[in-house]
Amino acid sequence: MNHSLITTEILVILLGLGVLLADLWIRPESRPALGWLAASLLGCILALSLGALTPHDGSAFGGMYVLDGLARYFKGFFLLAGILVILMTVEFRHRLPVGLSEFFALTLFALAGMLFAASANDFILMFVSLELITVTFFVLNSFQRARLPSLEAGVKYLILGGVASAFMIFGIALIFGSANTTNFSLVAAQQAQLAANPVFLTGLMLVLVGLGFKIAAFPFHLWAPDVYQGSPAPATAFLSVGSKAAGFVLLLRVLFGAVPQITSQWQVLLMVTAAITILYGSLCALPQRNFKRLLGYSSIANAGYLLLGVAAESRTGSSAVLYYLGGYFFTVLAIFTVLCSLSSTIDNDEISALNGLGRRSPFLAAALSIGLVSLAGIPPMVGFFGKFQLLAAVLEAARLAPAFYVLLGVAVVGVVLSLYYYFNVIRAMYWGDAPAGVSLIEVSAPARIALLVCLAGVLYLGIAPGGLLRLADGAVAGLKFSPAHAPSVVTAAH
Amino acid sequence: MHAGLNHYLTVSVLLFCLGFLGVITRRNLVVIYMGLELMLNAANLALVAFSRFNANLNGQVMVFFTITVAAAEVAVGLALIVALYRKRGTAHVEDLATLKL
Repeated sequence: MNHSLITTEILVILLGLGVLLADLWIRPESRPALGWLAASLLGCILALSLGALTPHDGSAFGGMYVLDGLARYFKGFFLLAGILVILMTVEFRHRLPVGLSEFFALTLFALAGMLFAASANDFILMFVSLELITVTFFVLNSFQRARLPSLEAGVKYLILGGVASAFMIFGIALIFGSANTTNFSLVAAQQAQLAANPVFLTGLMLVLVGLGFKIAAFPFHLWAPDVYQGSPAPATAFLSVGSKAAGFVLLLRVLFGAVPQITSQWQVLLMVTAAITILYGSLCALPQRNFKRLLGYSSIANAGYLLLGVAAESRTGSSAVLYYLGGYFFTVLAIFTVLCSLSSTIDNDEISALNGLGRRSPFLAAALSIGLVSLAGIPPMVGFFGKFQLLAAVLEAARLAPAFYVLLGVAVVGVVLSLYYYFNVIRAMYWGDAPAGVSLIEVSAPARIALLVCLAGVLYLGIAPGGLLRLADGAVAGLKFSPAHAPSVVTAAH
Repeated sequence: MHAGLNHYLTVSVLLFCLGFLGVITRRNLVVIYMGLELMLNAANLALVAFSRFNANLNGQVMVFFTITVAAAEVAVGLALIVALYRKRGTAHVEDLATLKL
């Protein structure tokens, strides 16, 4: 047994408990300082976890928990996301009249769930860590209890999240019954027999339903627009970055760690899901007038792009997924930091409320534009290179299965549609008329730092993608891709 | 007649389907929530049955995890539904229509 591997998670949970306790003794006006303290301590944990804290890879708790390249990549990702979300929450405090410290603590608990999810090598740990994330988000999404939209978002997430967990646990029960184990590695060892077992395949499908809910893939995306619109902006940001990435790391682990052979028979299913998700997200985003709702549909479309890399079922595809998530992270957090900075002066999330932002705050407008341009996938931003990597993986897969050319076409259509709705927002900022009698918008120092970090990430990773790409490629080295998947695709397509 | 694994599984699948039916057809949030609990307990029954007939205790341990998680979910969920009821005066899903295009 090797319990020292989970030191990072333990430290994050202790920090969360510490924040809850400290709230009892500090004065209400010093709560933002508690946030800065929590963010800086999280920074220390991030710096330590990269090296000194857990120097060796390994597994613990009877193979339930693994620490490998993939887990390390995502742990770094989640910790950085946690830091930026806490800074964002401090910026958003005018809209959270009660319970600011609890918001920090809940963010930290959700973060602990994500850290466990990155290391899950067993269906039980997968379920428990996903539930830790989901139940925490029930509270985070409905945190503005006095606002009806926030409560409504929380209740919708509660019901649909509950259904997704019920499907997942029933699927795990069937998998346990047919494989007599819940460990990914032990399942992988007997997948040749399991591939013909209908009970196991049903169970696996139900587990994929639960994961599809987490990443907001069609047809389990219904919650995303409403929840994105109603939730407080920092919770939405964490949902779109952390919760989605947790879903994807588990998807990669299940599909390419536990059942690579069955995955290769299900390639068509993944391709169809990716295509419909891209088209649905892009088409529904077109008529939106609420900016956060637009971002909800955009996150559905982005889940579709990420699924392209999963459907390619190759090392290139999976490393492209990791790279794209890294770029998406900086882009989305930049956009939400701008929204949080605006929260004290602008009281709604309509796109028309951004009219004339280019004159009221050139810095925020420029930051939001760079974020949107990156989401749209225009060089030299990171969004362009991420999409380029994903499409390169699709092209590579197309040499084995020509159906991938259709997928390529769908992705290009999605990108073209996205240009329209992202540039609509930029048009409002620079060419819209500012309402009369409004002043310049001040940006606080922490928000400025968070924004500069995100923008530096967006530009640097777009111009010099090599480092992150090598990191992503090394992280997916442990995944197994069934080499002879071409014939099964042909038979499945006919 | 001796009850075998298939009998338990049939009951479990029936419970799951009934719970799901309740979630999609009922209009009251509390009743929907009861349907959700039924779905979770169907999974528990399946886990215990598999555990008994495969002679593998891990399934029973997993049921404890499920029960704990379900309890946490219910605590948060009911609190949310009560908060919504106080604000809105109703717990019907038709009235959850603030967030629309």
